[in-house]
Amino acid sequence: MEQLYLTLIFLFVLFLLLGTGVWVGLALFGVAFVGLELFTSRPAGDAMITTIWTSSSSWSLTALPLFIWMGEILFRTRLSEDMFRGLSPWMARLPGGLVHTNIVGCTIFAAVSGSSAATLTTVGKMAIPELRKRNYPEYMIIGTLTGAATLGLMIPPSLTLIVYGVTINESITKLFLAGVIPGLILALMFMAYVALWSVVRRSEVPEIGNRLSFMAKVRESKFLIPVLLLIIVVIGSMYLGLATATEAAAFGVVGSLVLAASQGSLDRKTFIESLLGATRTSAMIAMILGGAAALSLSMGFTGLPRALANWIDELGLTPFSLLIALMIFYIILGCFLDGISSVVLTMAIVEPMIRQAGIDVIWFGIFIVVVVEMAQITPPIGFNLFVMQGITGHEMNYIAKTAIPMFAIMVLMVFVLILFPDLATYLPETMRER
Amino acid sequence: MLDVLGPKIRKGLDTLYLTAGYLAALFLVVILLLILIQMMARWTGEMFTGAPDYAGYFMAGASFFAFAYALNNGNHIRVTLLLGTLGKYRRIGEIWCFAMATVLAAYWARYAIKATYWSYKLGDVSQGQDATPLWIPQLSMAVGSVIFTIALFDNLVRVIWFGTHSAQAQIVSEEE
Repeated sequence: MEQLYLTLIFLFVLFLLLGTGVWVGLALFGVAFVGLELFTSRPAGDAMITTIWTSSSSWSLTALPLFIWMGEILFRTRLSEDMFRGLSPWMARLPGGLVHTNIVGCTIFAAVSGSSAATLTTVGKMAIPELRKRNYPEYMIIGTLTGAATLGLMIPPSLTLIVYGVTINESITKLFLAGVIPGLILALMFMAYVALWSVVRRSEVPEIGNRLSFMAKVRESKFLIPVLLLIIVVIGSMYLGLATATEAAAFGVVGSLVLAASQGSLDRKTFIESLLGATRTSAMIAMILGGAAALSLSMGFTGLPRALANWIDELGLTPFSLLIALMIFYIILGCFLDGISSVVLTMAIVEPMIRQAGIDVIWFGIFIVVVVEMAQITPPIGFNLFVMQGITGHEMNYIAKTAIPMFAIMVLMVFVLILFPDLATYLPETMRER
Repeated sequence: MLDVLGPKIRKGLDTLYLTAGYLAALFLVVILLLILIQMMARWTGEMFTGAPDYAGYFMAGASFFAFAYALNNGNHIRVTLLLGTLGKYRRIGEIWCFAMATVLAAYWARYAIKATYWSYKLGDVSQGQDATPLWIPQLSMAVGSVIFTIALFDNLVRVIWFGTHSAQAQIVSEEE
């Protein structure tokens, strides 16, 4: 009985600190302290600092700032302009027309950047005004962009996957490769939706004027080709076992610096700005990870993860119903927390649960990413909604409404993943280990 | 007295946060160089032992030194749902947040200093191939968390006195 009271106090502190707006990393740190004081007689401070130091000085974590930096550099190039110009000639003939540039643009930028906010801004900056000029319906422009930008979380490099990998101590390279095929499939499903729309509501699709010859198309997209090459090199080197995730990231940074320089958009100012931006974002995530490391240490002593895992075991849930329950849980959690915070906050509890149920942790990484992606486009806290509001000035509720079909597609994606787990596990299983 | 000292303190503190932030950025460049050198060493058949460990230390340094800098640019994430509904009482909410955060960060800093001190005192050496005395890289954790605590306290004082602070998000235009 006493155990129960202690657990309740522990959870109360957790909700109090997080809910009242204390910064996530510090809040987790505070909860960890309370847990250690309640459940053990160990000196809390010393134990927490040891764990924090080990986790924050780990080698695998270095992939994080480097991939962020790579995205920051390309964010400051002319990629945004080139993206629309280069893609639109190719998309013009697809059913649904230029709306596809939103989705393909997001997919490409997602492969150089790990954040969906950066993806949304880069693609949207150019695509929104251009699509409006051509009279595409507003709800399609906004909805597809808001939805497709979440691919930034799934297609490598993905910050959420790095954080997941570091938290449960699994190979980041494997997680990255696991995200490739499901990411592309999700993109295709979005595109299929656009095509379906163009058939059902034919009257809404504007006519497209002049069509270009093949060579003219290539000429228009010549600026995109180096970016595509960079993506292939970064992901390919990991798949072939030539480089670890960190090394691929370093390569990506050098490649994007060369790319920016050859475009003439690399000067002292953009270099320093990209570097400082990466420093800040990586420090933000590092603080959450530090707090989370202390919390998972503390969680272990509370016995909460084990008790829950046993309880789930006794319920005799099938892995399928467990996954559905987790999906609903994460969607609700996502209403209050951002993706990275909800992953680190829950992994200490969820990890034993899924290991007990015999679910592959690499596969689960992709599952959890799709689920927190959904949370990005649901109110009240959906991060993409905030960014979209900043760009377009639309009401949050309107943006959320336009993204409902995308949300439904992601739910469908979760079932596809459960039915065909090989989609995620094929590449990591066939990659060459170094 | 305060009129003369005030702006000077303000300027001094801001310089402190910014310098630490620049130092952190420099560490990121060092991480990149370490990894590139290690890759080149591998391709040419040389060995650069300890590179992963050094990169890890600089990673910790880059994180801890940038905590305060990220705070003042509004990068650190928090749940603003409740704060947003407080309306004119928001200042009270902010005071609570900064007060709690200052206490927690101070606790963090206290034990970071203690751990670094004992590493130095006992002569702890890294378990890896680099055999670095651990207190040197741990110094970044100690110094960085102290600067972070100062930054939080600085913001707390400003919220109490003037009702403003500098930890507002700048990238996203939130409802405020």
